Formats: sequence, structure tokens, C-alpha cells
Amino acid sequence: MAELPIWQYDTLFLIAVVLFGVTALTMQNLMSAAIVFGAYSFLMCLIWTAMGAVDVAFTEAAVGAGVSTVFIVATIYNTGASAKPRKPRVGFKLFAGAVAVATGAFLLSALPDFPAWGDPKSPVNSTVAPYYIENTIRDAHVPNIVTTVLADYRGFDTLLETAVVFIACIAIYSILRVDSAKSTVDEPDIIAAPPAYDPTDSLIIRQASRIMVPFMQIFALYVIAHGHYSPGGGFQGGVILGASVILLCISFDLKFVLRQWTEKKIMLLTALGVLIYAAVGVACIFMGGDYLNYNALDPVLPGDMAFARYYGILLVEVGVGVTVMFSMIGIYIILASNGRFNRGL
Amino acid sequence: MEYIAYILIVVGLVFFLGTSIGLLRFPDFYTRMHAAGKGDTLSTVLILAGCIFAVASQGQMSWLLGLKILLIINFVFIGSPTATHAMMDVGERAGAKPWKKKGGYK
Amino acid sequence: MNSFITIAGVVLIGLMLLVLVRVIKGPTVIDRLVAVNVIGTKSIVLLLFSGIIFGQLEMFVDIALGYGLLNFIVSIAASRYYQHRRCLEQKGQPS
Repeated sequence: MAELPIWQYDTLFLIAVVLFGVTALTMQNLMSAAIVFGAYSFLMCLIWTAMGAVDVAFTEAAVGAGVSTVFIVATIYNTGASAKPRKPRVGFKLFAGAVAVATGAFLLSALPDFPAWGDPKSPVNSTVAPYYIENTIRDAHVPNIVTTVLADYRGFDTLLETAVVFIACIAIYSILRVDSAKSTVDEPDIIAAPPAYDPTDSLIIRQASRIMVPFMQIFALYVIAHGHYSPGGGFQGGVILGASVILLCISFDLKFVLRQWTEKKIMLLTALGVLIYAAVGVACIFMGGDYLNYNALDPVLPGDMAFARYYGILLVEVGVGVTVMFSMIGIYIILASNGRFNRGL
Repeated sequence: MEYIAYILIVVGLVFFLGTSIGLLRFPDFYTRMHAAGKGDTLSTVLILAGCIFAVASQGQMSWLLGLKILLIINFVFIGSPTATHAMMDVGERAGAKPWKKKGGYK
Repeated sequence: MNSFITIAGVVLIGLMLLVLVRVIKGPTVIDRLVAVNVIGTKSIVLLLFSGIIFGQLEMFVDIALGYGLLNFIVSIAASRYYQHRRCLEQKGQPS
């Protein structure tokens, strides 16, 4: 990669991102704002690919531009698509603007102290990064340095991030879950009315979903398993798996999916992923090593010591994928059915 | 091999130019959907086919890479017209009226 | 070949900015949804162009494939919302 002609792309992407962001903020209708915000998310993904950070770009494309927009649409379905107009209070707006400008100027004042872009003599690139670049293949036989750093060298962080995704799912569940028989809240007419749309009308959408869902799931399993060699890994694969079931919920009726994926199954399987990750660490303790030190699993797994770490990384990625998949499905069903698990978007 | 890539990408860009001008200038919701659904899908398929030849001319093609780009073409070819159909269905149920020559719409 | 792909990418982004005008101007919400669908499809192409310029297309093809699948889901979800609500906007609210 001698001389990349990438500054043209970067400038245009940055201009487009600013335009999209300003457009999303000034829309009156909330649905329009949500849709434009999804497009803004995807342009951020393009900026990250132009910088060379492909794992981050994949996560942003899958989560920000895909699943997150669907969550916002499901929330708007149950609340309403117009923001209440408030009378403009000029003094407050000036004060808020001054605070924002001051914070931005304070942060930007640190900019001249940054090292140059890609400088090999910066502190990160001269002490920490060369160790990873030189020793990843020798330690774990995994070519993708990002996956090794995430799941092996910094494995505790990924365990706690998986727990955070799990906590998000059960927090939404505990706040929004309403038992229909015992609820005494009156819902406005537009929510309590039965949906005006019969899903058997849309043969084309149902048939296209039937074709695409199995391919999405196989592709997601490929992304999880191939995370050692290409951008991907557990998180991105889990999100695409969740998105495939969300596609089923959208194109068929929500009741159709709720017959198979009951509430108890989804919540238990969300916990199963975190359990897999933690259980790998405890298995390492049983074999005599430290917590999450995959070297201790060497007598059990095939291959030499480095391959023990290879398979250890694969096991924890599967755990992350399972948790993320069922968290996405659970959050979507709770948001779309307003906590009642009977019907929805 | 390079010339096939050049031709395919340029033709794809010409179709996309038609799509974006059509999206801007057509008077009615239904006509804009024609421009978006058909022109967008066709231009994407042509440009992606041109990318296959471009990578092949740079000497980095392998079977897996070609198969993956063919899969992208396949999913765009199935998914984008279906999404256009869904949006057209919504517009028709919501009652958007077609544009008539001497009266505008709505 | 690299310079040709760069020029093609710049032209593509310029045309995408033209479609952005429709996003801003569209009188109904569905116009904006159609324009965002077009922008999403073209972004897949831009990802592949970045991959060709970097010289490592194998990395970027996976991201492009993933995004192609997810673009479809957003369009179907938004149109399903309007099919349930049966009208484009409620009485008296802006679009």
C-alpha cells in the first residue's frame, strides 16, 4: 500500500456525514429522522473503512445501520411519530450553545499534542503494538490480531462487555414487561386498536424473506467461525443472526415467531452465552491454570499449546455470539409488542 | 480484461446518473419509485460485475472472492426490488394519488 | 486501474449527494425512505471500491455482504410500520 489516494474519499465522506447528521436533527417527523439516522450510521462505517479499521466498520454497519434503526422504528410504533413542539426559549438555547462550543474548543485544544497519523515512533506504536504484531501467530496461531487482542490478551474486557449486553436485555425486560391480565394502564386508541394489516396480503415479501433468512444465518455462522482470519468474530455474527430472526418477525407476523421463540427460551438462552464464556474460564481453573488462561486447556484440546489458545478463542466467540443474538431478538420483541409478548410490529 | 471492467463500471455509473436525476425531477411518488427501484438495482449489478473483472485484472481473484461478489449481486437483485414493492404498497394504501397532466397532485 | 476506481468513487459520492437532496426535500416520508434505500445500496458499491484501492478486497467483501442483507431489513421494517398504521401521518402533524 504505497500511496493511497484516500484523502479524496475522506473529505467527501466527512462532508456527507455532516450533511446527513444536520438533516437528521432538523426533521420534524420522528420516522424520517430515524431513517436518515440509519443512513448517517452507514456513512460512519464507510469512514472507518477508509481508515482501515474493518472490525469496527463491520460492527457499526451491523448494529448502527441495521438493528438499531429497527429498534427505533419499533419504539415509534408504540409511542408516536411526532415530537411535541415546545416554545423556543432563546436564553436557554444560547446558554446550551455556549456550553457545547466551550466543551468542543476544550477538546480540540488537545489536538496539536496528538502524534502524527500512523507514526511509528508514537508511544502506542513503539511499545505495545509491535508485541502484538510479532507474537500473535506464535502465541495463538490466529492471523487476525484484533480478534486475538479482544478474546485472548484482553479477555476480561470482552467477558464484561458480553455481560453488559446481557444486562441491557434484562434491564429492558424488567422495565417494560407488563402482564396483560393484571395491567390497569389505559393505552391510547392508536396503540390499542388491532393492526389494520393482514400479513397474508404480502406474498412477495414473505417469499423473499423465506429465501434470504437461511442464507443470512449461514453467513452469520461463517462470520463467527471465520473471525480468526477475516473481519468479524462473535459480536458481528451474533447481530446478523439476531437480524435474521427479526426479519422473520417483520415479514411474517410477530405471533408466528412467538409460537417458537417463547419468552422463557429467549431469556434463558441470553444467559447461556455469558455462561459459556465464564465456564471456559472456570475450566481453565480446573485444569490448573489462571482464570481465562487458555494455555491450561492444552491437555484437553488437540494440537500444541498455541492451538489450545486458538480453540479457546473460538469457544468464547461462540459464547459472545449466542448472547448477542438472543439479546437482539429479546429487545426487539419487547419493544415491538410493548412488553406484552402477544402482537406487534 | 481491464476494458470489460471499464465498460461495465462506466455503463453502471451512467444508469445511476439517470436514477438520481429521475429521483430529483419526476413529479410524482410513483414515477420516482420506478426510477429508484429499477435504475438503482441495475446500476449496482453492473458496477459489481465490473468490480469482478477489475479484481481479476489486478491478479488477486480467487474462487471464493468471485463467489462472494456473486452472492452480493444475488442478494441485491432479490432484496432491492422487494423493498421497492413494499414501499409502493404502502404508498398506494395510504392514498397517494397519481400525477395528472393538468392538475398536479394533492 | 486504481486511479480509475478513485474517480468512479468520487463520481458515485457526488451522485449520492444529489439523492440526498431528495431526502431533504421529499414531501412525504416514503420519498425519504426510497432515497435512503438507494443510498444504502450504493454504499455497498463504495465499500468494494475502497477494498480495490486498498488492494485487499477479501477483507471488505464480508462487510459489503453483511450490509446488503441489513439494508433490506430496514426498508421492510419502516414500510411495515406504515402498513400497520394505514396512513402516512396523523392528522395535522408534519411529515
